[in-house]
Amino acid sequence: MLDFLRFGIEWLPALLKGVPLTLALWVIAITLGCLLGLILCWARVYGNRLCYWISTVYIELFRGTPMLVQMFFIYLGLPHVGIVFDAFTAAVIAITLNSAAYQAEYFRGSVLSVPRGQMVAARACGMSKWQAIRHIMLPQALRRVIPQWSNEAIIELKFTSIAYTIGVVEITAIAQDIGSRTLDFFQVFLWAGLIYLVLTSTVASLLSWVERRTHVPGVTTN
Amino acid sequence: MTDDLVLDVRDVKKSYEGLEVLKGIGFGLRRGETKVLVGPSGSGKSTLLRCINHLTPPDEGRIFLSGEEVLEKNIDAMRARIGFVFQDFNLFSHLTVLDNVRICQVKVKGVAADVATERAQQELERVGLGDKASAYPAELSGGQQQRVSIARALAMDPDVLLFDEPTSALDPELTGEVVRVMQKLASDGMTMVVVTHEMSFARQAADELIFMENGYIIEQGPPQQLFSSAANDRTRAFLNVIAEHG
Ligand SMILES: Nc1ncnc2c1ncn2[C@@H]1O[C@H](COP(=O)(O)OP(=O)(O)OP(=O)(O)O)[C@@H](O)[C@H]1O
Ligand SMILES: [Mg+2]
Repeated sequence: MLDFLRFGIEWLPALLKGVPLTLALWVIAITLGCLLGLILCWARVYGNRLCYWISTVYIELFRGTPMLVQMFFIYLGLPHVGIVFDAFTAAVIAITLNSAAYQAEYFRGSVLSVPRGQMVAARACGMSKWQAIRHIMLPQALRRVIPQWSNEAIIELKFTSIAYTIGVVEITAIAQDIGSRTLDFFQVFLWAGLIYLVLTSTVASLLSWVERRTHVPGVTTN
Repeated sequence: MTDDLVLDVRDVKKSYEGLEVLKGIGFGLRRGETKVLVGPSGSGKSTLLRCINHLTPPDEGRIFLSGEEVLEKNIDAMRARIGFVFQDFNLFSHLTVLDNVRICQVKVKGVAADVATERAQQELERVGLGDKASAYPAELSGGQQQRVSIARALAMDPDVLLFDEPTSALDPELTGEVVRVMQKLASDGMTMVVVTHEMSFARQAADELIFMENGYIIEQGPPQQLFSSAANDRTRAFLNVIAEHG
């Protein structure tokens, strides 16, 4: 225990230097993934046949292959056809594209769970399809999706650690580096795990606060 | 003659996958008139109402609202002038009662926010729910929800109101409050088409009773006349049955 604390005092400041990059990677990817996910969901639920198929193929492709393979493909594969990204950008793109596929499916499930009559009533009073989606369907679907979306957000937060494999200097990469210098992998990865745990539980409680704040009686997942 | 018709439905036909549900329906409604539509289950009453505002676009026939034809290309503007009250209310669950009555005024008609609020409050008073403005739909009884949905339709200042069995989803003890609101609207001179089994409403408020069966209108006339001496056997049988149950 004393060892653990002593190790922490010595190396925690260095490990924490990885937090901003981990959070930046996560925030950017989850936000862009959310926007792309909404578009994919729109295409699949409301789009014409072409939009539906493009969206479906995209979603199946990204959910059916490992994120690590996607990241390697973007960072190491694409340069062969002349498309080069730095490691951080490649990691953002990989996590964004992957997360979008999952978010799209959660959004879709949520939109489909809004009772049909809501759309009908909105159209019946003269709203256009777009207005009905914007003012009636989306606010309800977004409220209903928060629990699942929180899970997805937290999974992606943990997935930022694989950016280490392409050389992004985030928490895991720093831990690996400290480990090889001190040869105390046991301590360093306990500390790294602890940092992730603090981050994920903070995010979880933040999102459950959002869920409570936006709660409306009668608009729930079950 | 046709000029003063608020609603003019001409020879409307509608099929679902080969099953002809409306086989040529026509009727008209003058300003301030209330017509009650009755008929056995599956006779096409809901389909007819939904054809009027193209929730279900008709296959054939024409519909005119205050002389203007309802078409696919002007449908949103026309729907803003046709109030629709659903059997299961369909209030917007994420909005307060007040916002339910405000939102279409603001988003569809472009009414200023404060004007819409005032109008919404006024219509809520009219249906007896002025004190529920800040409640959410899930916090109201079915009867209250239906009255809010009537207020939502009224706030749009519609040319005509269509009701599709507005009391059928309610517990029996809650139908009265909704029927009373509808009776008040009828006597205030609202123009309405009402599908209902509430024969007390038909008797008191309807200018005309329209009896539908199998996709046709088979008889229509003043309710007193139909109740006492319907010409058609089936109309008579049907009215007797609902008179006993209602
Ligand atoms: N969307 C649809 N697809 C296929 N058939 C339909 C659809 N809507 C209605 N129908 C059929 O059309 C016929 C008329 O239905 P409609 O709902 O208009 O009758 P109704 O007179 O309103 O009956 P009820 O009193 O039960 O409400 C029924 O046979 C019904 O099964
Ligand atoms: Mg019906």
